[in-house]
Amino acid sequence: MVDEATVRRAQRGDAASLEAVLRDLAPYLGRICGAIALDAGDDALQEAMVAIARNLGSLREPAALRGWARRIAVREAVRAGRGGRAVPVDPATLDPLGLDPRTVVPDGTTAVEVRAVLDALRPEQRAVLVLRHLDGLDETEMAEVLGVARGTVKSRLHRARAAFRERWTA
Amino acid sequence: MTAETWPTAVLRPTGRARALAAGLPGTVIQEGVIDAPFDRVWGFVADLERSVPEFDVDVARIRILDRDGTRLRVRARSSWRMAGVPIGFDVDLEDGWCWMVSRPRLYVVAMAAEPDPDDPGRTRYAHLEGITVRPRALARATRWRTRHHVASDVAGIERALGLRP
Repeated sequence: MVDEATVRRAQRGDAASLEAVLRDLAPYLGRICGAIALDAGDDALQEAMVAIARNLGSLREPAALRGWARRIAVREAVRAGRGGRAVPVDPATLDPLGLDPRTVVPDGTTAVEVRAVLDALRPEQRAVLVLRHLDGLDETEMAEVLGVARGTVKSRLHRARAAFRERWTA
Repeated sequence: MTAETWPTAVLRPTGRARALAAGLPGTVIQEGVIDAPFDRVWGFVADLERSVPEFDVDVARIRILDRDGTRLRVRARSSWRMAGVPIGFDVDLEDGWCWMVSRPRLYVVAMAAEPDPDDPGRTRYAHLEGITVRPRALARATRWRTRHHVASDVAGIERALGLRP
């Protein structure tokens, strides 16, 4: 992971530092974009990296780089997964927010089976699974990344969880 | 369940160059498709001592001083038009990616290539160059010349590959 001094130099326009920041972020954001946008993942990652490079100067706290970049990547990936439509995330669609991904995609699941689970979900739902599983975010953090209120999400959670499980185990 | 079982997106070399261009206002990027297979294009470009003086009219000679894996230290000598000035570069040279940063860090070059997914007989190529110093007004002022230079480099690569007279 790049250090804060490198991020600061990149913010000041140092090209080598910017390259180091992008190189460091690409594999991490590639997992996020691939799992959320699926076949449009490469395009989403590309757009996210362009946005990150262009707006890095606006990042106030270098230590927050990964979280800031993650928000951009999730946004681009959800948009790409929806075919390019920039629709605000509807909290009602975040069904599996409280779901433990291990119960949906348990240990030993193959890549084909993971893909089948992801295919059955909407992009914003995939985002929830990705953030929970790959990043281990809690509900508050996920709601912040997705730009929705945690309380709003939680109130819809219980009902949605049962429906989701039924669909997958059917 | 491991992360490896999840679909993963990849940032290709030309995409990396495009992102860098977005963050470096003093640089210019030109992207296109070269009508030759990747191995042939990159086989030429990656041979820096031979390729750069051939396609870049402002470089008379380039020498690799040190090599450690993908990291190189090179010295370029500019052509008589640029007064024969020696310039050192730190280089990262990988398959499809060449990133050169001058010493001191005033000028950068990125050359990126990958097979064209629509036609494996062709190559997607991106070429980025420019100054990285502030103020931005200086970067803007030099863009016209940089754009002209980048176009000349790409044309030089195609010429060296026998794709244009």
